[in-house]
Amino acid sequence: MSILKVTNLCKKIGKKEILKNVSFTIEEGDILGFIGANGAGKTTTIKCVLGLQKMNSGSISINGYDIKKDFVKAIKQVGAIVESPDVYQYLSGMENLEMQASFYKNITDDDIMRIVKLVGLEKRIYDKVSKYSLGMKERLGIAISLINNPNLLILDEPTNGLDPEGIKDLRELLLKLAQKGTGILISSHNLSELESFCNKVCIIQNGEIITNKSIKEIKTTTNNKYLIKVDNDKKALSLISDANLNNNHLELIADEDQIAALIKLLVNNNIKIYEVTKEKLTLEEAFISIAGGHKID
Amino acid sequence: MINLIKSEIKKVFKKRSFLIVTIIFIFYAIMTNVIYKNLNSLDSTTKYDIPSLQEENSHLDLGKEEDLTTFISNLTRIELENLKKDYNSGTQKYLIDKYLYNPLYSLISSRYQETKESDIAALTEKYNTTLELIKNSNWEYFIKENITSLETKLSKTTENKEQTRIKAFIDIENYRLKNNIPCDTTNYLNNALDAIKTNLTEYLNLQAKENLTKTETERLSYLKEDMLRNKYILMHKKDLNNMENLKSVLANFAEEFGLFILIYVVLIFGPIVSEEYSKGTIKYLLIKPYKRSTILLAKFLAGLILIPFVIILMLALEVLIGGLILGFNSLNIPILIYDSAKNILISYSIFKYVLIVLLSIIPMYLMLGIICFSLSTITTSTSAAITITFLFYLIANVISNLVLVYKTSIFKYFISLHWDFNYLITKTPNPYHFSYQTSIFVLLIYTIVILSFTFIYFNKKDVKNI
Repeated sequence: MSILKVTNLCKKIGKKEILKNVSFTIEEGDILGFIGANGAGKTTTIKCVLGLQKMNSGSISINGYDIKKDFVKAIKQVGAIVESPDVYQYLSGMENLEMQASFYKNITDDDIMRIVKLVGLEKRIYDKVSKYSLGMKERLGIAISLINNPNLLILDEPTNGLDPEGIKDLRELLLKLAQKGTGILISSHNLSELESFCNKVCIIQNGEIITNKSIKEIKTTTNNKYLIKVDNDKKALSLISDANLNNNHLELIADEDQIAALIKLLVNNNIKIYEVTKEKLTLEEAFISIAGGHKID
Repeated sequence: MINLIKSEIKKVFKKRSFLIVTIIFIFYAIMTNVIYKNLNSLDSTTKYDIPSLQEENSHLDLGKEEDLTTFISNLTRIELENLKKDYNSGTQKYLIDKYLYNPLYSLISSRYQETKESDIAALTEKYNTTLELIKNSNWEYFIKENITSLETKLSKTTENKEQTRIKAFIDIENYRLKNNIPCDTTNYLNNALDAIKTNLTEYLNLQAKENLTKTETERLSYLKEDMLRNKYILMHKKDLNNMENLKSVLANFAEEFGLFILIYVVLIFGPIVSEEYSKGTIKYLLIKPYKRSTILLAKFLAGLILIPFVIILMLALEVLIGGLILGFNSLNIPILIYDSAKNILISYSIFKYVLIVLLSIIPMYLMLGIICFSLSTITTSTSAAITITFLFYLIANVISNLVLVYKTSIFKYFISLHWDFNYLITKTPNPYHFSYQTSIFVLLIYTIVILSFTFIYFNKKDVKNI
């Protein structure tokens, strides 16, 4: 049974279709990177999953419970940060945590303290939240999302406001949780941030999922990046429309057959080729190539 | 559910605004009690202002007879006021006011008219003996004099009504002698006795009269109540009319501090849902394992619990502050409510009275709370919820008054005509002629309609993206 199963989710606001047939699943131990530009529909999808917004059609089930029919059971084992870690500013970090914990059964003070240590807030936990920095609020938000020991963790752009060390801590924390079997949905507009620890990636654009693959699948793409040095850049560029000029090199993504045909074309047009270098694609570049050359941002 | 309610209550108490309003309330209560402490000094009707009397005299034309009378009267008054400064006891002051005016007036007027030496000597003698009696605080002498003159009057009267009237006055003077109630305005028993004397003639006349007009009936009812009250004061020796004490602040608790109850109501209900939206915390609340309607119900119930709580808090603070400023000993003085239908006084202990007054006005604050709660949920704007609730309160009062004045039936079922139950306490008829059962029914209908709409709306509402 999947931890989270989103099927053909559609959402309209007025006449505008915000989400079109969004489908994806999260299994035990998955870390799904949910990538999209601002306004692509990431937060709306997350809000639909959490029942904060109503869907027009489609279905969402969490741990086997449909969120429309069994909302209370479905949401019980979910932890989340949506948009930003909004907590009660007039309470201390500890009071916020205790209040959130009181909504669940059987959470002891030791559990709370353990989570505080986990996110590294033990020194400032008794301070009022209004005195926290954005990064500390983010840590507190993560603590709140973990308070009920969730098996589905949904983090909407959690890296906002975190310093590099915070991001590193978060990465280690999420990997540890995933190893224990927690399913994690983590959204970002920046793919490179998630590259190193996601095992699945979903790219959403204008409310549609354009790729929904595991990182492995993407990395085994046959395409490579090629850098070509020639004597006449301008002429070469006019012949190869897909290429970009970068640091006196033509840069393009292609497979081996395509590059062979290209070299032939350049030679036939009397362009001197000094150098051809093959490079591995970064995850982001791989995506762009799969998505058909669309830029994500 | 209980945890949800607890957390809502905690949120209210942890907010600085609650503390600030409570501190302001404390200052307000202190000031109110200080005003009550000196309430009588606000009453300027019995005080004579020497400079203004002198000012008036300087403009008078002594050639005219009318002006001369005023002039002498003012002069007498000035002299009496100056004389009173030399005497400390209330009895002496009272006697100066009441019995020295005539001798002094005659004496002064003799200076401005041609008068025989012997007459002046007699007037001076009369003035001096009166003053001597006053110096000795010999009020019994003046009362006995009064009785003698009343008895002479009685022996000359043949009319039945007049005889009854004079007898009643003689009874009052004898009562004073028997119970040793000195003539002294600072003595509340004396004041009660004087009040009876002041109204007695009018009261007896109205009672004897047949076919009273509406105004006369109202006046008679008022006089009856006044008589009963003053009799009660004399019989039970309770200083009912004194306003300078904690009891009277508490008796007026709803009038003095009602606005603060309203402020607390909007402070609790105004942000209760809207602030969660504006601060974004609603997202965390709604992903807790509760139905949306449970979450909203918990908020509503928390507010409902808090309203009586803040009222009791205000009451406790007022008793403490008022007690420190005005003393606690007035708390054993009862509150008397006049039931005009039965012509009896109903006695309540002060705390019971405050409690039933609060019970009678709480429906209004609850309804305003429900309106504020609904506005907070639907508009998701705290300022809109608070402002509209206040405006509604103002407009509702205007509409109530409109209905009273124009007797229009358009607003027959308007909420403000039904939310005030004070008439049940004052034992007066409902001003709009509804039974209290009707009013309760109407209020229940309002509650059900407003709350169901609010709950349905909240259940369907999307949490918008930032």
